[in-house]
Amino acid sequence: MNQQFMPDEDLAYTVLSDLKRVTREYATAATEAVCPTVRQHFTQLLNTTLAMQGELYNAMSQQKMYNTASPALRQEIDKQFKEYQQTQQKTNQFVQQRKSAPQAAQPQWGYQQAPVWQQPSYMPQGAQQHQSGMQHSHTPYM
Amino acid sequence: MNMLPITAKELEYIADSLSNEDLLIKQCTAGALSCTNPQISQVLMHQAQVHQSQYQALLGCLQQHQSLAPTQPQG
Repeated sequence: MNQQFMPDEDLAYTVLSDLKRVTREYATAATEAVCPTVRQHFTQLLNTTLAMQGELYNAMSQQKMYNTASPALRQEIDKQFKEYQQTQQKTNQFVQQRKSAPQAAQPQWGYQQAPVWQQPSYMPQGAQQHQSGMQHSHTPYM
Repeated sequence: MNMLPITAKELEYIADSLSNEDLLIKQCTAGALSCTNPQISQVLMHQAQVHQSQYQALLGCLQQHQSLAPTQPQG
């Protein structure tokens, strides 16, 4: 008599939802860290936990344990696309206007460069010159 | 990399994270053993180990900061 503690899918789902919750907590913790090494620790934990969540999700999905939501309709995508294309145009105009305005009050806003440790450990395209001594936190967990 | 003393908030996050990881170690281990699906069981078994090393990393982080912490409240 091998009575199962819980059906497989419920069991896997319980772990999956915990991984999702913990991922959010690590992201919050990383953004609120003061000490650079603590931030680095949380960033590393975030990446690993996110990878584990993906791994478990993939396994569940292969075993047909996860019902994905039905696909969005074409007309809904079209609608959002149009709307945000317009938003983009307006925003581009706004940016152009502000940039070309003579002697605009730009310096008053004082864009400040983030302290070195706040810079992301991933390297955005063309931002290599910002690279600090920070280690990559990209390495996939084993 | 320079290390600063951790704040009370950071300490709370680390402690909460330790208890999360602890729960996940137990959940994955118990889950892997009770699960009848071999693929899921294997993933859970493997992840239990990863959570153990994450737990150790968090403990290590606390340990690193022990000597930096003041023993009296700072103004």
